Amino acid sequence: MTLLQLFKWFDATPISLIIRNSTYIFPVVEVLHLFGLTLLLGTITVIDMRMLGVGMRRQSIAQVAGSLAPWSIGAAALTILSGILLFLSEAMKCYGNAAFPYKMWFLLGGIILYFAVQRKVTSPTSRVSPGTLKVVAVLSLILWYGVAVAGRAIAFV
Amino acid sequence: MSIFEICQWIQDSSIGTGIRESTYVFPLIEASHVLGLAVSVGTIAIVDLRLIGATMTDQPVTDVIEQLQPWTLSGFVSMFVSGGFLFWSEAARLYPSYSYRTKFIFLFLLGVNALLFHTTTYKSVDQWNNDAVTPFRARMAGWIGITFWAVVIFMGRWTAYNLK
Repeated sequence: MTLLQLFKWFDATPISLIIRNSTYIFPVVEVLHLFGLTLLLGTITVIDMRMLGVGMRRQSIAQVAGSLAPWSIGAAALTILSGILLFLSEAMKCYGNAAFPYKMWFLLGGIILYFAVQRKVTSPTSRVSPGTLKVVAVLSLILWYGVAVAGRAIAFV
Repeated sequence: MSIFEICQWIQDSSIGTGIRESTYVFPLIEASHVLGLAVSVGTIAIVDLRLIGATMTDQPVTDVIEQLQPWTLSGFVSMFVSGGFLFWSEAARLYPSYSYRTKFIFLFLLGVNALLFHTTTYKSVDQWNNDAVTPFRARMAGWIGITFWAVVIFMGRWTAYNLK
């Protein structure tokens, strides 16, 4: 199965048709996508900036990252689930879209960085150097803001 | 001159027309609007969640509020400046929109909510700073903050669908 065939299949699922044939489902799902994005980027920014030594310095990195992690993950779940619904409703539009693949690669990178690296280096038992923390934080900021900017670009390219 | 005519005049100005017809400027302004939203409302949400006892309950309320304030304010600046330019380019289309008007009513109510909280309940924060469960009025301020911001985001996104 080629990528084109796969996207055509996504474009024709029953869910895709229901969303496309409704006036209100798409905008409502997009608002949920925006709620999730707001909380996800907000909490990730605070964690990354704390790792860079900016803001929330009265708390340890582990305290900030630990307290906000459930909200980042919950918000990511909401953003991704709503994103899948938006994608299904316009999969063929995404197929020919120049920004869409960038958004997906940034997203994959962000998720892998978070679960494979960031959670470990921000745990209370972590012993990594401040320099390593800063590199991880900068990468995280680039990837997640990359997702948001590439996502917004889908509508314009 | 009616308000609508003023909006038409703003929209028809050279800067308004320039933004509207640009290839890159309009999308860039809109992107800063969304990123400013994430930073300001994202950090406000953390404060509201602390007030309702949903996050950082083992940390003092003042630590959360004071340390996040710079982020909230920077996000606001980005949102207001970019929002101002977006309005400049579409003033006459935005002015009649009910979702756009509703958004501003709720922004005003959020301002009142924040002002009331800071001038009354927050004055006694020393007595409940380390409590996981904050006073009723602080929790109310948090709940109102979260729900009204959700309305603002909803109305803001809805406005884009309503534009004729």
